[in-house]
Amino acid sequence: MFWRYPGKLDFFRMDDRLLLIQIGIIVGILSGMASVGLTWALGSILDFLRPLRHLWWAFLLPAAGAMCSSLFLEKIMNEGAGHGVPEVIYSVSRYGGLMRLRSCFTRLISSCLTIGSGGSAGPEAPVVMSGAAIGSNIGKFFNLNDRQRITLVGCGSAGAISAIFNAPLTGMIFALEVILGEWSMVNIIPIAVASVAGAETCRFFEGNRIVFESSPFNISSYDLLACLGLALMAAIASVLLTRMLRGMHHISGKVELPFWIRAALGGAAVGFLGFAVPDALGEGYHAIHAMIHGLYAAGMGLAAMACLAKIVATSLTLGWGGSGGIFAPCLVIGSFAGLAYQRMLVFAFPSVAWSGEGFFALLGMAGMMSGLLQAPLTGLFLILEITGSYDVMVPLIIVSAISTTITYYFEPVSFYLKELVDRGALLRPGTDQRVLSDISIREVIEKDCITVHPDMPLRDFIDAVKKSTRNYFPVEDAQTGKFLGMIYFDKIRPYIFNTFLYDTVFVEQIMDADPEVVYYDDDLSDVLHKMDLKKCFSLPVISNERFVGMVSKATLLDKYRDELKVQTAQIV
Amino acid sequence: METTLFHVFRNTPRGREILMQSLFFCKITGASILIYIPEHTKFLMYFENDVVQVDLDKSYLTDPDTAKKHAEELAEQAGIYPRFLHPKNFTASTLPDIPVNFDFMCCPRSITSLSSKISLGHIGPKVRRIINAAKFPVLIPAPQFKEWQNLTVFFGGSANSVKALKLGLHLSRVTGKPLDIFTQTGRKTKKYFEDILTDNKLDTEVEENVRQWYFFKKGDFKHNLYNVPHDALAVLGAYGHGLVKDVMFGNTMEIIQKTLPNTLLVAGPHYVIPPG
Repeated sequence: MFWRYPGKLDFFRMDDRLLLIQIGIIVGILSGMASVGLTWALGSILDFLRPLRHLWWAFLLPAAGAMCSSLFLEKIMNEGAGHGVPEVIYSVSRYGGLMRLRSCFTRLISSCLTIGSGGSAGPEAPVVMSGAAIGSNIGKFFNLNDRQRITLVGCGSAGAISAIFNAPLTGMIFALEVILGEWSMVNIIPIAVASVAGAETCRFFEGNRIVFESSPFNISSYDLLACLGLALMAAIASVLLTRMLRGMHHISGKVELPFWIRAALGGAAVGFLGFAVPDALGEGYHAIHAMIHGLYAAGMGLAAMACLAKIVATSLTLGWGGSGGIFAPCLVIGSFAGLAYQRMLVFAFPSVAWSGEGFFALLGMAGMMSGLLQAPLTGLFLILEITGSYDVMVPLIIVSAISTTITYYFEPVSFYLKELVDRGALLRPGTDQRVLSDISIREVIEKDCITVHPDMPLRDFIDAVKKSTRNYFPVEDAQTGKFLGMIYFDKIRPYIFNTFLYDTVFVEQIMDADPEVVYYDDDLSDVLHKMDLKKCFSLPVISNERFVGMVSKATLLDKYRDELKVQTAQIV
Repeated sequence: METTLFHVFRNTPRGREILMQSLFFCKITGASILIYIPEHTKFLMYFENDVVQVDLDKSYLTDPDTAKKHAEELAEQAGIYPRFLHPKNFTASTLPDIPVNFDFMCCPRSITSLSSKISLGHIGPKVRRIINAAKFPVLIPAPQFKEWQNLTVFFGGSANSVKALKLGLHLSRVTGKPLDIFTQTGRKTKKYFEDILTDNKLDTEVEENVRQWYFFKKGDFKHNLYNVPHDALAVLGAYGHGLVKDVMFGNTMEIIQKTLPNTLLVAGPHYVIPPG
């Protein structure tokens, strides 16, 4: 079955990019199909439920959707809820991009139920997870190594974003900037090809459309100056959404109800909110269309209220157990923020010829995306591609850069990475934690130690010291072999030079009976932390109450350098 | 070499009996034991090229307050110092990642929610996937606790059965227990198998250390299995066929475990023989 191991073929051994490009095309096409499928399914559910939306009990629709979604994920598929991008980043950072097969479709179905019923969430993150899982599982099928599999995960993510927004450049940048967190030559080409494959798949089924096509804007220097204020507003909205999402998650976690009832409560609250602000429901793209074309009639107050309502609705949907992503809500919130800001400018400076509301709406989207994801390039290129407004490049750069900077001040880590960073699970390539995580204690253990027994007189111990090349000696029970303690040569110098003590002092009296120990399954980062705390250079390794060897900083550093060379060579 | 066995503990009478089997294995082979008392009904194991989600039935969460105490008491009786695994990494909040850097893992016949099939001698799909993906062999305990006194290796000439033989010889050396080999030759001659041993430089070791080599040219495989001593640890290699092949052509591992009441030690296709 040589075809299951294409990486071993001589042709691909020299440079595996050709292999990754070929497989990347397949991954891109499949991700594109997942995206097309999700778009079609969402449209069908929305059409099916549309006649019910005006009924008094319509607020129950998002509740039922969120409940079914959480039950599907937890009871049928046995998978934790959430929007999934952190899970993709986690698998890339810690497990070479390994993902479960079920992840190829679970989030697609669950997000369909949540969003189709009116929950405030986006379909992009679920389709990213699906694309990434497709890439990962194809990598598994072809028995590719970790680095190649990670590239395919990037290909799947790129293909998914590229297909759902018909934005190949954004897909590629999103995969490199957000998912992989590294820009290396070996990754860029396969990911770019997969991104194009995803976009072409979408165009084949849905036609080549620009998602939020806009007319050209007349941009004056006043508009450019106004960008500074809009960037601040987008940053505030980003911080608010991030904190409210996390806050809702904590609150729902404290409610002692079954998870599906919690999801239903969140959905029902969104349904109620939808009565007052209908634009807060669903993905909300129709509102963006209206704003970009200058057809959204609401004034400053209503636009600001819609912006807040969308933030609350998204937090309720995702924080209480619904399934979906934050891409679409981000765009909607950003565009509402932009619209409210434009209305405020017109109110405050009526004599200035401000650019249209569409201009500020799309700047708001870019600012919001850049701030929340801490990914200015993704935000920038996404808006350029989905609106086709390349004439707003300069203001977009200003808003994206400033919004990212301001948000960073309040939330130094992006929404996707926050949870991973908090629990120390984010290991980006080439970092200290990542290098240490790839080394095990078994690889650095030193076994050339001479063991001594507690009833050994100091004279015999001196003989053992003479034979040893080490300055530490584990003490073991002579009968059982049980580890009893350590003797560090540095600490017993006073006894060594006093010959009167040679026959009166025993090992048991001079040993450290409670030394810090480590075990085979300990992380080396923890081991180093213990060494730093105890200010020692080596620690004994214990297994089944027996001494098995020592782990030292010197050996660890040697291995660390070897591992770093391997990892950085892969990046180059 | 120091080895570690990983055990997922269930605080029920049957779970405690399974732990006793793990502890006996550790005692005989000198391995240490790492016990995991689950707090969630699922966990993930990230292997080199696969990720396996293990779904436990709810009995694994029985009486968590006494679980550690019961496990410690059993370990103390066996003279083993137990260590408990507290997962550090989580893929999702209720989905811990269990490390896979140990040397053996104990899996009951099934650790999926199909607990009703345990007593029917069914190897659950998750146990199969762990066997297929793991670098370590999997200990599948007998339905009832029984101290094994010797080892029987199933040797069919394949690369995996050679690995199983090496594992059996290693355990025989470590434990001092006698080793037998079981071979159903089919159309092949004994020389064919001896040549495989010679190619793998095992001929001398087998000659010196194997107590008996059961050769069956004729007869039903299931029937011949009754010659395996009842108190033997059965060591076998698993081919790692896909589900379709298993369903179509049957699976030797499944036949052995259904017929034999013995404790099994199964080395999968990715099992790596430790150096030395």
